[in-house]
Amino acid sequence: MTSSPSASRSLRGKTAVIGCGISAVGRVPGKSALALAADAAYKALADAGLQKTDIDGVLSSHAFASPFHRFSVAISEYLGIQPTFSNTLQVSGATAATMFNVAAAAIHGGLAETVLIVGGDSLLTGLSPDLALRSMTESRDQQYEMPFGIPVANTFAMTAHRHMRDFGTTAEQFAQVAVIQREHARRTPGAQMTEPLTVEDVLNSGMVTTPYHKLDCSLISDGGAAFIVTSAERAKALGIPKPIYILGGGECYTHEHIFLMPSITTTGAVQSSAKAYAMAGYGPKDMDVAGVYDCFTGTVIMMLEDLGFCPKGEGGRFVEDRQMTYGGAIPCNTHGGLLSFAHSGMPGALFHFYEVIHQLRGQCGERQVQGAELGLVHSLGAGFATQATTIFGTEATL
Amino acid sequence: MINPKEAHIKPLPMPDADSEAYWRGIREGKLLLQHCKQCGHVQFYQQAICRACGSEHLEHRPASGRGTVHSFSVVYRAPGPAFKHDTPYAVLLVELAEGPRMISSFVGDDPLVVTFDMPVELVCEPVGDTGVVLPRFRAAR
Repeated sequence: MTSSPSASRSLRGKTAVIGCGISAVGRVPGKSALALAADAAYKALADAGLQKTDIDGVLSSHAFASPFHRFSVAISEYLGIQPTFSNTLQVSGATAATMFNVAAAAIHGGLAETVLIVGGDSLLTGLSPDLALRSMTESRDQQYEMPFGIPVANTFAMTAHRHMRDFGTTAEQFAQVAVIQREHARRTPGAQMTEPLTVEDVLNSGMVTTPYHKLDCSLISDGGAAFIVTSAERAKALGIPKPIYILGGGECYTHEHIFLMPSITTTGAVQSSAKAYAMAGYGPKDMDVAGVYDCFTGTVIMMLEDLGFCPKGEGGRFVEDRQMTYGGAIPCNTHGGLLSFAHSGMPGALFHFYEVIHQLRGQCGERQVQGAELGLVHSLGAGFATQATTIFGTEATL
Repeated sequence: MINPKEAHIKPLPMPDADSEAYWRGIREGKLLLQHCKQCGHVQFYQQAICRACGSEHLEHRPASGRGTVHSFSVVYRAPGPAFKHDTPYAVLLVELAEGPRMISSFVGDDPLVVTFDMPVELVCEPVGDTGVVLPRFRAAR
């Protein structure tokens, strides 16, 4: 990355997250995607001590249940604000991290001073039958994939399956991811799934698409999340007690179709995280806590490798050795993740940010990772086609 | 948008300007790959330019129809009602002998016999009476 002409330009420490909010998550009937997003937005504003008129930029993801082409514009209207910078980003599950990267770049570049990042969706209770069907099938290629009956889960399943073949990763190791994250969710107020879970429970939960059982798959939920990002100078001027700085961002897009993925067991997360680490000036060993997109259990194992937390092929053993929880190398998805906290579509990936930022603020109560100063959040989507990483730190890490 | 009343109908490919010749080839029992006359790159995904060098000088040549299973997943819970009656079925990531990979599904045998790197061969199979033919794969004979 050092040879890149952009290496001398950096958004390291230029912006900070000063407010966070989430709606109720899980089964939240009677609330539109916009209402969930607005609820989260008002909580984030209150957390930052700002008024809605202080927002001059809005970034959002799309929502299946409120399928506006321009959700960021629709939510601005819903909130009664008229931002001078806005965009609705769409790179599937990776959208969450790209919103933080773009917000930081926009603020650093002078396009906006205070950006609201917001998403909301109601996949569990808010989808009409046609929208539900659309959400299940439409993201795969109409000519080369969909005619063969390929569920969204299938692309991820095929990568995990080959990972088993190439590295000896086991179904029990996949299941262990779900078990550890359930332990985390049991300590997270408001989490959707809090019943105790064992490896046997996962293995006996019924096959969806090999090698994934039902409990290897993430949840379907309602929920929204929002964040306020502003310049480091403004965060200081506002007297925010603990701004959480954006130290680095990186992205990588290796393919659109799974059959054109260069390797189905090593992903663009290698490149996206390398770029984020280089900008932040820290490496994987420096991270105290992580939020890793966990649409399926095997996704986490592959990402722990590609983000540099363990060598390639050793993700299964890493998880089996409980290195992804408290006392291990990198406590990961300490809120329970998409597997146990909630997965309301694209906003689901924002919950990882909410957790990691609260860990860095030291506000996680019994879930607190002691002394957490540096955190990484990684979002991905579309069968590993889209990858985005953001690294955060406290003032002490600047 | 998909009409829920048509949810039981399987999605069929709708060829576009880039893929029209490919789907005509499939109807004739041939899997046409694009060979770049400028750099020799071979591609499955049909497009107007070579993905390696950008040349427009592409030539369609029938693939041997032989390949191996790079990865696969046996589907037990179908993506919507259209595929429900087919479960369990094996979706394949086939690596063609010529190099490119493609998505297909396994026919002619119990899906549970599919294994990694298993040799497979092309079967161009009509979909009911739709007039559409799909490239599927069976165990190599």
